[in-house]
Amino acid sequence: MRPIRIVAVFAASTLLAASNQASAQDDVLVLGDDVQFDADADFGFDDDLFGAAFDEDNSASKASWLDDFTIKITQQFSGQVNNHSVTIPSLFSFPREAELETNRLGANIRYQNAFAPGWLLQASGKIRSYWRDDYEYEAEGDKIDIEYRVNEFFLQRSFDQHSLKFGRQTVVWGETTGNSVLDIINTNEFRDFNIIDIEDARLNQWLLVWDYFGKDSNFSSFLNIYPEFNPPAVRGSPFFFEPAFNLTDYDRDSGLQFEAGTKWRKSFEGSDISFMAAYLYENQMRFEDPVSGIGDAIAQVNDFFLLGFSANRAVGKLLLNFDLAYSRDVQADSFSFPGTASLANPVNLKKDQIGTSFGFEYAISNEQSVSLGIQAQKLLDEDEGLLPGQALINDGVFGSWLVRYSNTLMNSDLVISSTLQGDLDANSLLALLGIDYTVNDNWTVSGQVISITSNETSPLIFFDEDVRLAATLTYSF
Amino acid sequence: MRRTILGKGLVCLAAALLLIPLQSLAQDLSAREIMEKLEDNRRATSNSALSRMQLSTCKFGVREGKITCAERPRVKSLESVGKGYGAGLRDTRSVAILLEPAAERGIGMLSFIYDDGARDNETWLYLSALGRVKRIASGSSDDETEPGSLFGSEFTTEDQDTGKLDEYEINLLEETVQAGREVWKIETIPNAERARKSRYSRTVLYVDKERFVELRIEMYDQYGKEIKRMLGSRVEQMNGIWVARSTTIMNLVTNRLSNMAFLEMHTGIEVPDEFLTQRTLTDAAFRETELEKLRAQIN
Repeated sequence: MRPIRIVAVFAASTLLAASNQASAQDDVLVLGDDVQFDADADFGFDDDLFGAAFDEDNSASKASWLDDFTIKITQQFSGQVNNHSVTIPSLFSFPREAELETNRLGANIRYQNAFAPGWLLQASGKIRSYWRDDYEYEAEGDKIDIEYRVNEFFLQRSFDQHSLKFGRQTVVWGETTGNSVLDIINTNEFRDFNIIDIEDARLNQWLLVWDYFGKDSNFSSFLNIYPEFNPPAVRGSPFFFEPAFNLTDYDRDSGLQFEAGTKWRKSFEGSDISFMAAYLYENQMRFEDPVSGIGDAIAQVNDFFLLGFSANRAVGKLLLNFDLAYSRDVQADSFSFPGTASLANPVNLKKDQIGTSFGFEYAISNEQSVSLGIQAQKLLDEDEGLLPGQALINDGVFGSWLVRYSNTLMNSDLVISSTLQGDLDANSLLALLGIDYTVNDNWTVSGQVISITSNETSPLIFFDEDVRLAATLTYSF
Repeated sequence: MRRTILGKGLVCLAAALLLIPLQSLAQDLSAREIMEKLEDNRRATSNSALSRMQLSTCKFGVREGKITCAERPRVKSLESVGKGYGAGLRDTRSVAILLEPAAERGIGMLSFIYDDGARDNETWLYLSALGRVKRIASGSSDDETEPGSLFGSEFTTEDQDTGKLDEYEINLLEETVQAGREVWKIETIPNAERARKSRYSRTVLYVDKERFVELRIEMYDQYGKEIKRMLGSRVEQMNGIWVARSTTIMNLVTNRLSNMAFLEMHTGIEVPDEFLTQRTLTDAAFRETELEKLRAQIN
């Protein structure tokens, strides 16, 4: 049975269970008139669970410097479990064996402190220790490797109608969740298939952000004088392919680089709209072979202009989202599927591009929600500048779609979610099923099943029929 | 305006003087007038108010006539600031920020609740992981779905709704006793327009005749089955306003309940309009500074 079928069956079962739950809505507990809370006895609860809330000691909470910290410790295992072979038609075939890919202990630390009126310091970072059989352990020559990274680190000053933030941070544009064509300010890193959500993959950059909060509308502007780019795939990770030449960072001696942009946002009753404009660098670098054929690959970057518009509209329980982007002078060829950008080696040709992302979010009930996002882009004058017989990878309309469903069960302790993601040409499909179980306010256990199906026209062909299982234990406090 | 001891004393004195005539006047009130007074009281708890609440949710069972949590409840603590707007301050804007648990600290919700039935209430949420303010569709499009939940609890935006009385048929069913208190038993039935936006086809309220506080609310679906019951207890005067400091809503379909405990409630707080905007969700420096100013008004 193809992996996707297994996942499809599981997804169908999940939806069936959900529909069964919905059909059971008529089974109502009949409460007698005598069932009531005693006003003098803490609601009549046998164990007085909520009554403690009114205890004097409880209401007088004592502040501690530790309150400014949120710490999350995780141990994660994941691996590819399907023994199979991948065939690249008319080229080659290689075996794909089951193996553990990640075995890592990590800590995420977040600090937020409003240390003086109008001032705030916020920082977050992570530390990872890669254990035996983790791909990073093997890439280090079978040695335990430890990695540190600062994510957020910014100082904020708010006064009157203004707010200034300087430091490492992210800027998120666009209304469509997961695959907005406007969510391109931040660089991102998809190291492996445990991260397929853009929200988890964004990297922070050094930015100055100025927000102006007007009476009826807001402006938010940013300046980045040290644009960063998507990091190359980590050696040993599923996305890593041995390059012909060593991939190096961009040579910044060739001039001043900066990025800048501004967004105007206004809220109406039932709707929010934004207009934005920016001068940016594409997050993905393009690598050229060294001129002499010896040495390191030459990293090239590309600057472009972006004009955008986004809007949402609430209609009852339905939220409609819409984003529109016009990009001037972007690289003509790059893979659009998240996680595959590091594989790209586009031709050096600049084009204008128009793109849209749109979708909806619908809360089926307090427990269940479903969302759909479609991203579609098209290069303008796409044939112009091409050699005879040459064609772009991104020919015509290209893009991706994303469907998410989540069902919260057991008093919100159990969350079952599924994500389906594919490209518009139906060349690849990535299916994820996740289960998150909250043991208590501190402990969480989660599991994932990820399946990939692809044909030879998608870069995901290298992962065709892969099935990955992942388990994570988290302690947060 | 900062509440002074003198101000509090005057309010208490006025309440004491009004107590006896109020009860006798109350006998002559129509069902609509009772509902208006009830709603005025509700709004007073969120008008120019700073509150600290604890929200607890669990699966429940009934044992020997008493409600019992069948599992360890999930507890969230939050701080809320609200203010009345519009004609007669009948619209409410409020911000609620989660303080605990640690993993959810800083999640904020901004709500605009409109008195006019033609206007859908509005809600925005800020999740730091999402990195932006997100509008939440809070209306209900059909009878099979439930309106937006308050931080995953059984309290929904509809349960916290005020106003829109013109869209209901309101009937006084009887005068009875609930939890040892004399109450009016009142039913409200939405008109066709409101019914399309509501989960409930009929609601029965037990309103304390002296304090104008709901001690019990029964909510019925389109088949006439009671699907939710809300019980108010620990009715106390907080800053001159009668409040059920503990409100528990039981979902009789899912056997899940949520309890909202008002740990602190301070009214008469001068809340700047700028605080009840999306800025409070995203600008933590602004939010903490303004919250400190609001807390300083209490002391």
